[in-house]
Amino acid sequence: MDFKFVILVLNGLTQAAILFVLGSGLTLAFGLMRVVNLSHGAFYMLGGYIGYSVVKATGNWPLALVTGGLSIALLGFVFERTMLSRVRGGDLPETLLTVALSMIIADQALVYWARNPVTLNVPSYLSPPIKLLGLTYPGFRFVMMGVSIVIALSLWLLLYKTKLGAAVRAGVDDRETVSALGVNIPVIYTAVFVLSAFLGGIAGVLGGSYLQLSPGGDAIILIYSLVVIILGGMGSLGGAVISSLILGQVISFGLAYAPQYSYFLIFIPMAIVLSIRPQGLFGRKL
Amino acid sequence: MTARGKFWKYFLSVAILMALILLPLYASQYTITTFIRIIYFGFLAVSTGFLIGQGGMVSLTQAAFFGIAGYGIGLLGYERGVPFPLADVLSIGIVLVFASIFGLIANRTQKIVFLMITLAFGQVVFAFALQNTTLLHGWAGIRGIRPFVIMGIDFNKTGNFYWAALTLFGLGQYFLWRIVNSPFGLALNGTRENSQRMAALGYPVYWIRVVAFLISAVYAGLGGILATYNTGVITPTTMQLSRTIWVLLMVILGGASYFWGPIVGTVVAVWLDVLVSQVTERYNTVIGIIFVLTVLFSPTGILGILDTLRKGDRLPFLRKILNRKTAPR
Repeated sequence: MDFKFVILVLNGLTQAAILFVLGSGLTLAFGLMRVVNLSHGAFYMLGGYIGYSVVKATGNWPLALVTGGLSIALLGFVFERTMLSRVRGGDLPETLLTVALSMIIADQALVYWARNPVTLNVPSYLSPPIKLLGLTYPGFRFVMMGVSIVIALSLWLLLYKTKLGAAVRAGVDDRETVSALGVNIPVIYTAVFVLSAFLGGIAGVLGGSYLQLSPGGDAIILIYSLVVIILGGMGSLGGAVISSLILGQVISFGLAYAPQYSYFLIFIPMAIVLSIRPQGLFGRKL
Repeated sequence: MTARGKFWKYFLSVAILMALILLPLYASQYTITTFIRIIYFGFLAVSTGFLIGQGGMVSLTQAAFFGIAGYGIGLLGYERGVPFPLADVLSIGIVLVFASIFGLIANRTQKIVFLMITLAFGQVVFAFALQNTTLLHGWAGIRGIRPFVIMGIDFNKTGNFYWAALTLFGLGQYFLWRIVNSPFGLALNGTRENSQRMAALGYPVYWIRVVAFLISAVYAGLGGILATYNTGVITPTTMQLSRTIWVLLMVILGGASYFWGPIVGTVVAVWLDVLVSQVTERYNTVIGIIFVLTVLFSPTGILGILDTLRKGDRLPFLRKILNRKTAPR
């Protein structure tokens, strides 16, 4: 019983690692651009599938992680430059474009990848069994948590210790003034969106190695990521960390004790927080 | 308006109306069924379009209300044997209960946050229906639901069902038209344009939004009831994300800011569905591309394009028909 508890907590942390990488990308883009990227779930799925193909062809998992991330970053770049930037400032058109993109990606993925669920193969050197408190746990899960922590730290450094980060944070508060001060806002927008897409792709490779990738899975992932940022507060990096940790445990324990309602359960923390603090745990009022 | 323009306007309206009413007499079974689909998706599109066009509220919970009403019919009317008008009234009642809970919470936020929260609420309902096997039977849903026979009229016959659905839709549109042009409708337009000013003028902005949300939920629910009777099936897929997105597309395609926009969008999207499905399996890709093109090049939708042509004075008779712009942008 005790062992089961520890395992569930560890599973929850693994889940949280994926949720954070997923949600941080979304929250970053939302914080600055006020764009809810509803194709984030599709980015995750496509990144995961590309990673899957790379692992299948080369067997090199780290390469898959980088390729998955970078190809989605490229897709994000093209999408932002050719479409999103054309309707800048309109909340609704921006959101609708991302919806349309997600439809196209999900449909096209059906053409190139198997219709049955797939999982990325993880090489054994990345997944040594690790003994902890008398039980064995796949080492790869710790690699995932490690990747997630590295990403969290780099994002924090980027946002709070660099000039770019300062410009981004200032842009969140007051776009016009920052723009008037000579900061090239469109370039920053593109950079943030590309970074957000990159994180979505990375999350897909991580998630695809732990869970399954399947057609239609993008909708569930999108909902997960939306719940992460609604719960944590939109645009807040710290909020994404806390809400991922909470939701990771909810998902893990839900699957174990109430599998019938595992998906439904993640909405409960969200509903509670929303009715008390509509802006989320760490969000500011919009 | 010139006398000639007036004539054309009435002539066209009456012609369309007659064509719709007499449809079962000359059209094939397949065409009638497609029109029934247009009517129940039309209810869903109208409910979404009303909130977007009149209130500036993009709600993605509407498909869930559609599904909840369907489950109401399945659970009460079919499984428990509750008779015809009562089961339907109760179903709408259940929809209103859910809409009150969601509406009271979601309307504390606005715009893009409102969109996200309503999306999450819609998915809560979907998730519950998907995973609950004891009451809602999970993936399988409820099957075998049949329309009713009242006063000797068998609504299992496609033609009869079509007429019933068309009548309901006509009444629905009439009431919506009244609502949109009532003081309440104008207040709702006001909250869309400038909610702070409306609040300063003493309007209860929050409650106006909640009531609009409830009205839209009823329309979505009516569509769900018709759909469930017509297909005989209610499953969680009715409420899945892709359905919600599809409805949003219909509204934007037709023109969200026009009273008739959602309906025009539904007619086009449902027929497009029929046509594209015959040619390619990649229906969603085609629809997605149309969606992108609409947003990029004609954000006001089909009626927006026609409106531009109307102002360019190239289609004098369409101009008269399209005079019914209710929400100028």
